[in-house]
Amino acid sequence: MDIEADLVVIGAGMAGLVAGTIAAEAGLNTVLLRKGQSATAYSSGAIDVIGYVPEASEAFASPEEGLFILSRLYPLHPYSIIGYDDRIETEKIVDTIIERARETVSWLKTHLDGTLAPLDGEFDSNIHPITILGTTKPTCLIQKTMNSGNLTDREDSVLLFVGISGYADFNPSAAAQTYLEDRMSTGSSPRKVAHCVVQVMPFGKSYNLSSIELARHLDHEGSIESIAEQLKEHIEQVGATHVAFPPILGIQNALRNKTKLEEMTGTTVFELLGFPPSIPGQRLQKSLETIFVKSGGKLLLGHEATSYQREGDVLKSIIATTPRRQIKIDAKAFLLATGKYIGGGISGDENGLKETVFGLMPVTGDYHSATDIVPSRSTSTLSISPMGQPIQSCGLSVDPEFRPVTEVGTEWVVNLFAAGAVLAGYNYSIEKSGLGVAATSGYNAAKNIVALIKEVP
Amino acid sequence: MTTSEFDVVVIGGGSTGTAVARDCAMRGYRTLLLERDDIASATVGTCAGMISSGLKYRDEPDIMAMCSKEVVYWNRIARHIIMKNPILAPLLDLSDAASDSSYMDSYSEHVGEREVPPMMFLTPDDSLELEPMLHPDIIASVYYEEYFIDPFRLCLLQALDARNHGAVIRTYCEVIDFEVNDNDEIEGVVFYNRVSGATEDVKTKVVVNAAGPWAHKVAKSADDKLPIRLNKGAHVIFDRRIVNVGLTVKAIDGRWIYLFPHENTTLLGTTALDTWEDPDTLVASFDEIEYLLQSMETVLPSIREARIIRTMTGVRPLVPEWKVPEGKVTRGYEIVDHSEKQGKKGLISFLGGKLVTCRHMAEAVTDLVGKKLGKEVACTTHEKPLPGNEVDVDIIALSKEYGISLHALERMRARRGTEMVKVLEHTKEHPEWKTTICTCEPIIEAEIRVAIREEFPQTLNDIRRRIRLGTGPCQGTFCTYKAAAILAEELDLSGDDFLVDILDFRAERWKGIRQSMRGEQLAQEELAQGMYACVGNLDQSDVDYDLKPWEEGC
Repeated sequence: MDIEADLVVIGAGMAGLVAGTIAAEAGLNTVLLRKGQSATAYSSGAIDVIGYVPEASEAFASPEEGLFILSRLYPLHPYSIIGYDDRIETEKIVDTIIERARETVSWLKTHLDGTLAPLDGEFDSNIHPITILGTTKPTCLIQKTMNSGNLTDREDSVLLFVGISGYADFNPSAAAQTYLEDRMSTGSSPRKVAHCVVQVMPFGKSYNLSSIELARHLDHEGSIESIAEQLKEHIEQVGATHVAFPPILGIQNALRNKTKLEEMTGTTVFELLGFPPSIPGQRLQKSLETIFVKSGGKLLLGHEATSYQREGDVLKSIIATTPRRQIKIDAKAFLLATGKYIGGGISGDENGLKETVFGLMPVTGDYHSATDIVPSRSTSTLSISPMGQPIQSCGLSVDPEFRPVTEVGTEWVVNLFAAGAVLAGYNYSIEKSGLGVAATSGYNAAKNIVALIKEVP
Repeated sequence: MTTSEFDVVVIGGGSTGTAVARDCAMRGYRTLLLERDDIASATVGTCAGMISSGLKYRDEPDIMAMCSKEVVYWNRIARHIIMKNPILAPLLDLSDAASDSSYMDSYSEHVGEREVPPMMFLTPDDSLELEPMLHPDIIASVYYEEYFIDPFRLCLLQALDARNHGAVIRTYCEVIDFEVNDNDEIEGVVFYNRVSGATEDVKTKVVVNAAGPWAHKVAKSADDKLPIRLNKGAHVIFDRRIVNVGLTVKAIDGRWIYLFPHENTTLLGTTALDTWEDPDTLVASFDEIEYLLQSMETVLPSIREARIIRTMTGVRPLVPEWKVPEGKVTRGYEIVDHSEKQGKKGLISFLGGKLVTCRHMAEAVTDLVGKKLGKEVACTTHEKPLPGNEVDVDIIALSKEYGISLHALERMRARRGTEMVKVLEHTKEHPEWKTTICTCEPIIEAEIRVAIREEFPQTLNDIRRRIRLGTGPCQGTFCTYKAAAILAEELDLSGDDFLVDILDFRAERWKGIRQSMRGEQLAQEELAQGMYACVGNLDQSDVDYDLKPWEEGC
């Protein structure tokens, strides 16, 4: 079977879906291949833009401030690349980077409005939501279910952490203790923090509860009321003004559940940022897929790009494979948004790294070839530190149009682009920049693709 | 502590030290065991757990006989933590077989008492039936069987049994000095409590130095000497049991190396390098990993397709023989009575030895301790079972009674034997404690809580040694924070300590993951970074994290 398209996007995480939607909205016939679960679905569901520069210890007050500094220190960072455009004067580069990132953020907010993952937050300030460990992290956009309202603004706020008996992914007592110490060390509110446990028994089971079981259970009519009932006593006991839940308030009805709980308890209810398996990550994933399909894009599930046909400096087609069939897809342009190690865009053995679809040359964070690096030598002896693990900065090097380049520095073909975690030059875990880079690079790569295709007769 | 005077102080909580403490306590001596880190945290915690028939040491028939007899005792006192592995030594050409055939006779001499078949040759077809992944060109293989014990659990059970018999077990207590009178007689031991930061001292006339690769340092702190030969050994660990049977093969340099299914994993080992480094800083090198992989590849060509999850490295405290390779150094042990060498009176040190002989070593040294104390009592350590070994456990009945999966119960049984019922009883009052915390092993919450309450762990690493927390394919990615929260609850820790526990455990896991990073572990590490750094923001945490010995200088 053969298909023809204007654009084939390989990979259905944040980068691929944003790019695919932009392209489809611009009128391109867009086909998107999704192999399996993307790293986006594993994410906390909050959208970081930029929290820190590597090795810094002070978080940026806003993405704007962060990008201003980052683009000067790291001219090859994927964020910096969006400012390189022949049409832009040198002194306008930084402004362009900030503007284009701002545009992406507002695009996301607008497009995800009305989906399962509507967003709060502004490009002009980083916010510091609480995690399931009781720590906080800087991020730009959170899902509305994570909005803690005036928790830190109110002098008299009292926060109650709510755990669920038999659900090990969140321990309210450890989180409460950690968060309280954090508040006390900075002398800020809330000054009173408590914790409690409620019973939720999907299928009558009182142990080994998973996030997905709980979220599906809470999607059902009537299930949230029993939690509200149990909570009232605990809320009264400590005078809680705010109530923090692990991120399991529902897949379909999370926001409605938050509102309902708030009405029934008279408090502000919000979800914490959590670890995989992540319900907010899945809400975000589903929402992005929905807007892509709504914009007219074709989403092929379970399809993996397994080979390609190239003529000279043009990529002609790719073969998409499922266990049952193979499809040849001819297209005018291609976007590689396959992610890094989790996504499967980059893989490696003891002798070096490789890009998995086209065999392109990955580079290190310092832009040296990574085809024959020993992975362990691209690591720090410290497991978790502001230095991060350098191996996580490996990926593809791209030109200002976001086209992967070969070892001589020119693009591999004129019509292959790349976006998201498959790119080199940034370590999202320490920068707190993952979904922001994915969205922004996807957004800008797609604009370049649209321009390329529209100029071809 | 209720008393500050002991008949004997044992230094070191490895296999030998815990065996000595158990023996001394069972003979009624007032016993204190001091361990600088945790039980089984060094040499024994990095071994394959083989309680060997002594096959490798056939030049020493006495040792072989001793090993065989000890295996019989282990099966008597600790069978619940013992597994038997069939082993193949595949032969690729005749020279592999012809070099020396005496090993078959020496091995087979003792098989009756160990209840294993004599060593035999298998045809290529029979070999491939047992292990289909073998190289198709093998011309034959040698078949034999060896017993394996959970080395962590063995040491812990010995320590717990010692405690049951009145011994005091103190972990995180490092001996720094001795009190010695003008007559060169030891009168007491001074040690540093690494948890409280205090210096403590106790009175004793007899000290057994079972500090393994630190034995010479302990002797030095008594102004005494103990020549020793330290030898580094590294293992590569796979994510599951990748072979049906154990395999042994000659490496590029002619040494024997092995691949053993071990608990839920497979161990490939070992290397042997003389070392003078601080044992705490050692990690496996690229060369060691390749040495092992390439050597095993000769008989198991697909080994690189298997998922490597980490490496581990330990140090053998050998008898100080010079001018011979590690494999030729005696695997017998020496008991050094320092008073007989113009050293301190009352100080006794161990050199050499093997896991399988640790009970024997303890018996010998405790005889000597008894002589010195003037209170000779007969040894019973080979007769009385270790805790949990009393009767067989009916897993199927327990699964029905408590509603917990057979798989989880079987893993628990392999650690606790009959004692597992104590864990399960908690789930009657707390059904939510049936929740699986470590899904790789698997381990339920009740066992973590019981381990914390009754087996004196201070850190997540200590819990790992007790119940194999975080030792599977994900290397604690998913259980670190869950178990840390339980530890924080049980020990009433501060929020900072909760985060430090997470960072400490990630650091220790990373120590072994890092060296062999490849394939799936790249994605696994991206996930771990994504959780603990990106979401948890722990890379920016300002908690009081102490650099580990292997991290210093970075």
